[in-house]
Amino acid sequence: MMRKITALGLVAGMLSVPALAQTKIEFKEFDLDNGLHVIMHQDNTTPIVVTSVLYHVGSKNEQPDRTGFAHFFEHLMFEGSENIERGEYMNIIQSHGGTLNAYTSNDITYYYESLPSNELELALYMESERMLHSKVDQTGVDTQREVVKEEKRQSYDNRPYGSILIETLKRAYSVHPYRWAPIGSLDDLNAASIDEFQQFYKDFYVPNNATLTIAGDIDYKQTEEWVKKYFSEIPKGKEEIYRPDVTEPKKTAEIRDIVYDNIQIPAVIQAYNLPPKADEDSYAMSMLSTYLTGGNSSLMTKELVDKQQKALAVAAIPLELEDGGVFLMYGIANMGVEPKDLETEIDKLIKQVQDEGISDTDFEKLQNIMENNIVSGNSSMAGVAENLAEAHVMFGGTDYVNEVMEAYSKVTKADIQRVAKEYMTLDGRVVLYYLPKPAEPAQ
Amino acid sequence: MKKITISFVLSLLVSVVSFAQVDRSEFPKAGPAPIIKIGEAETFTLDNGLKVFVVENDKLPRVSFTLVLERDPLFEGDKAGLTGYVGQMMMAGTTTRTKDQIDQEVDFIGANLGVSSTSISASSLKKHQGKILDLMSDVLYNPVFPEEELEKLKKQSLTALATSKDEPNAISSRLSSAMVYGKDHPYGEVTTEASLGNVSVEDVKSYYNTFFKPNIAYLAIVGDMSKSEAEAVVKKYFSDWKPGDVPKFSYDAPAPTTKTTVGLVDRSSSVQTVIDIAQPIDLTLGDEDYISSIVLNQIFGGGSSSRLFMNLREDKGYTYGAYSAFAEDKLIGQFSANASVRTEVTDSAVVEFIYEINRLVEDGVTQEELDKAKSNLAGSFGRSLESPGTIANFALNIERYDLPKDYYETYLQKMNALTVADINQTADDLIDPSKLYITAVGNASEIQEKLAQFGEVKLYDNMGYPAKEMAAVDADVTVETVLENYISAIGGNSAVSSIKTAKMVMDADVMGQKLTIEQIFDNPNMRYAQNTLVGGNVMQSSRIKDGKGVVSVQGQSIDMTDEQIDAAKLDTYFLPELYYGTMGYTLTLDGIKDVEGTPAYKIIVATPLGSSVNNYYSVESGLKIKNENPISGDTFYKDYQEKSGVMIPMAQTIKSAMIPVPLEAKVTSLELNPELTEEDFN
Repeated sequence: MMRKITALGLVAGMLSVPALAQTKIEFKEFDLDNGLHVIMHQDNTTPIVVTSVLYHVGSKNEQPDRTGFAHFFEHLMFEGSENIERGEYMNIIQSHGGTLNAYTSNDITYYYESLPSNELELALYMESERMLHSKVDQTGVDTQREVVKEEKRQSYDNRPYGSILIETLKRAYSVHPYRWAPIGSLDDLNAASIDEFQQFYKDFYVPNNATLTIAGDIDYKQTEEWVKKYFSEIPKGKEEIYRPDVTEPKKTAEIRDIVYDNIQIPAVIQAYNLPPKADEDSYAMSMLSTYLTGGNSSLMTKELVDKQQKALAVAAIPLELEDGGVFLMYGIANMGVEPKDLETEIDKLIKQVQDEGISDTDFEKLQNIMENNIVSGNSSMAGVAENLAEAHVMFGGTDYVNEVMEAYSKVTKADIQRVAKEYMTLDGRVVLYYLPKPAEPAQ
Repeated sequence: MKKITISFVLSLLVSVVSFAQVDRSEFPKAGPAPIIKIGEAETFTLDNGLKVFVVENDKLPRVSFTLVLERDPLFEGDKAGLTGYVGQMMMAGTTTRTKDQIDQEVDFIGANLGVSSTSISASSLKKHQGKILDLMSDVLYNPVFPEEELEKLKKQSLTALATSKDEPNAISSRLSSAMVYGKDHPYGEVTTEASLGNVSVEDVKSYYNTFFKPNIAYLAIVGDMSKSEAEAVVKKYFSDWKPGDVPKFSYDAPAPTTKTTVGLVDRSSSVQTVIDIAQPIDLTLGDEDYISSIVLNQIFGGGSSSRLFMNLREDKGYTYGAYSAFAEDKLIGQFSANASVRTEVTDSAVVEFIYEINRLVEDGVTQEELDKAKSNLAGSFGRSLESPGTIANFALNIERYDLPKDYYETYLQKMNALTVADINQTADDLIDPSKLYITAVGNASEIQEKLAQFGEVKLYDNMGYPAKEMAAVDADVTVETVLENYISAIGGNSAVSSIKTAKMVMDADVMGQKLTIEQIFDNPNMRYAQNTLVGGNVMQSSRIKDGKGVVSVQGQSIDMTDEQIDAAKLDTYFLPELYYGTMGYTLTLDGIKDVEGTPAYKIIVATPLGSSVNNYYSVESGLKIKNENPISGDTFYKDYQEKSGVMIPMAQTIKSAMIPVPLEAKVTSLELNPELTEEDFN
């Protein structure tokens, strides 16, 4: 049985008021000679095991004329390997009672599978196969190019407001590779040769750029043995991993534009540049976003959706990225409301937070909501595995997983007002109006 | 480059040597099947009859309380829809809290609280459990059922009902329930405008007073709480709850069909047909057949590697997905299989469904399919145990269905022991391929005849009632006579043809906003102008003149393509029937149809470039009562009034995919034969 609060947690809890209790997540970690970092978390309550590999490669590691590679590999890595037949990866996992998935961000690519715990060796074998010798060939590239084309059509081109991220990033960054979204450009994918895909695989899908996490009903010793058995022979990458060393200059003027999309109702988008993900101010910004649009009793939802009925929906989403992301806000206008009108009201509320800050009651509510979110984020093995991997790669150490609550408890009421002033500046933001594209003639 | 390759190969060689024992051509074998430990629920019963289950799980400092009422299904009759209001009415305020206060207080502690007519669920962090129990018990004991909240809820449900009348999946589900259970059964009855209107606050109160009783309730507590703490908590919050007599209800099993029959709802604007094939089955949780029915469904249509999906989507490409279900129910269960398919392949898809059903019952399943289904289901069973709520459900099911105490403890053993013969027996026991209900919602003129091969086709309306018998078209009725009748019904040829130009303004209300449609018609010069305004701002406009067309949305204009102009011209004439001949359109009489209860001749108007609209003319009055346009939706013409010797519809109901609710538009201004200037069309 896990102890609920460790001595350290107790001390931290006593120092920060009010005390925020976080259940400690125990783990063991080690490195292989080839640089693979391995994190294990044992929890025998349910006979399942989640195995995940986080590759520290996202769209920011791509070249400007070869965008979409990292996301493309998210697909390609399911094509199979020397020992796994084409298209069988998913079938094998599913027919052993498992599920699997993957996602790609601007910073990382994350693959995971959840299986009955007696299939752990299979999971490790499968992940090691695609790290050692994934099938990166013309057939696979051609097949997945079609799939990605459909995905882009479904999720970006045909989905109302689907291009928000693409259009925002394009304007929020002028030099940093964050200026393109993970989906990238189909033209780039079409233009790329098979050699380029193979090179990308050799550059980034190497053990020294990967974090393997195993969480669930495991035996530490046995797990370590199997990890060594399947992963030790994978050679370390030869070159240093390319990570862009670019500082996005601070914007000095507002960027304003109109995007015509297949939509019925106009929307207003605002984006503000954020500090790097691991910066202390990220916690205050995340609480600010909850204050603005999280839940029915949040400031903007109450004011703009319920009371004034100027918006059908509003949302503030901090897209936290390693080198500094964007704070994305959108409001969908109610019938007959001009985008300009809605924007004015949004700005008024931002100004209100900047000038007056937030009340004690609201601050306490935010702390309660954050606490609930952090606790719930560790309620599944999949969540724990992801949090462990992210702590190691993004926050400088796996221990961070047990320090999140403490980091949030350090945020003061004044901090929330301060970050609202510091980051939500009018002369450094991007504003987009999404307007309906004239379409078929209506009656 | 070469150098890199060589060292790459070398390092590979080295590592292969040192780990030579790894044979990568063989998949690792699974370890011994893990023992599924299902935490046992502690139970106790209060004097008032409340049965409590406690599943302690202190991994996280959270706790949840779920209260479930076990009552017989209700036939609501002329108050159908009543139970849908109970939960929200209980959350709408108590003797000491307003609705807003309840929302605020729940939000404040980051908790959840939800109520339905047969349950209350609440969850929060452990440290807020006192607060959430205060709120939960306040809602349970002291609801005040404010009248104005019921009015608001009724308005919302009327909007939802209006939308669902045109929603193919909602129509399909009503049709299927009506055929399988009959309209006099709790599972077959439907909510209507009238039945919603009949519901009063007194009805909701009386439901609450009758059914919210501890002697028919179960309370499941899951999370960071021991049995002894639970006993204290439950005593404090629930021991004063007064028991009472709760009525019981029983229903006759619906009479099964004697042979396969087809039910069809005509939705002529559909490009897809929603197919559902259903049959009532005798299946309750815990039955001998229950676990094998789950395995059977996994093989037949439970997922994306099942037979239906592989056949109808992967092999034939008829649909995005085809699935099946064996729904268990204490009263009566149901087997069903469904898919949405392109109109053209409707009959082919039904053929494949029936082929698969026959193949399942006659030839059974294979060992390979069985093994795959078992490991798939065992995996998801294992994963489901991660949620403590699953354990609470298991405990509740054991009680509600009177199952052996170790039912879930030994669930996987029971499943793994199933043989091919067992599964085939279950398929044979549950499915009778000769007595199916096949339902289809789609364009009847394209699919009705093709469906006749499967059984007698009966027509239904969008609420699942038998469609009115429509007489066959008399032999002497033709396109020409229908149009002549219409012209004479609205005032005769000379009066109608004397109207050359018109200006018409209509107003409607959309979710509290005023919507205005302005139209200007210039028949002799083939000019047309249209503006749609919301809250006084022009949202969209279109112009047709000099053989060209322009559409503007939010200030941005684009020219229409030839096809778009061709389609738009169908709407550019005021009273277009006089011009159909000269435009070179093809007109087809497609029988008599039911338009909201009125029999009407359907005429399909097709342009040379392939656009088409459908017009409906009342058999009795001759008036045009409906227009179906694939782009702008359905328009119903109402309130005909005489203007300058011509009958003009002064109200229109417009249903379109582009607007969330049907638009009730009233003509607020109409000028016939006004002077028009060039400016009117700029």
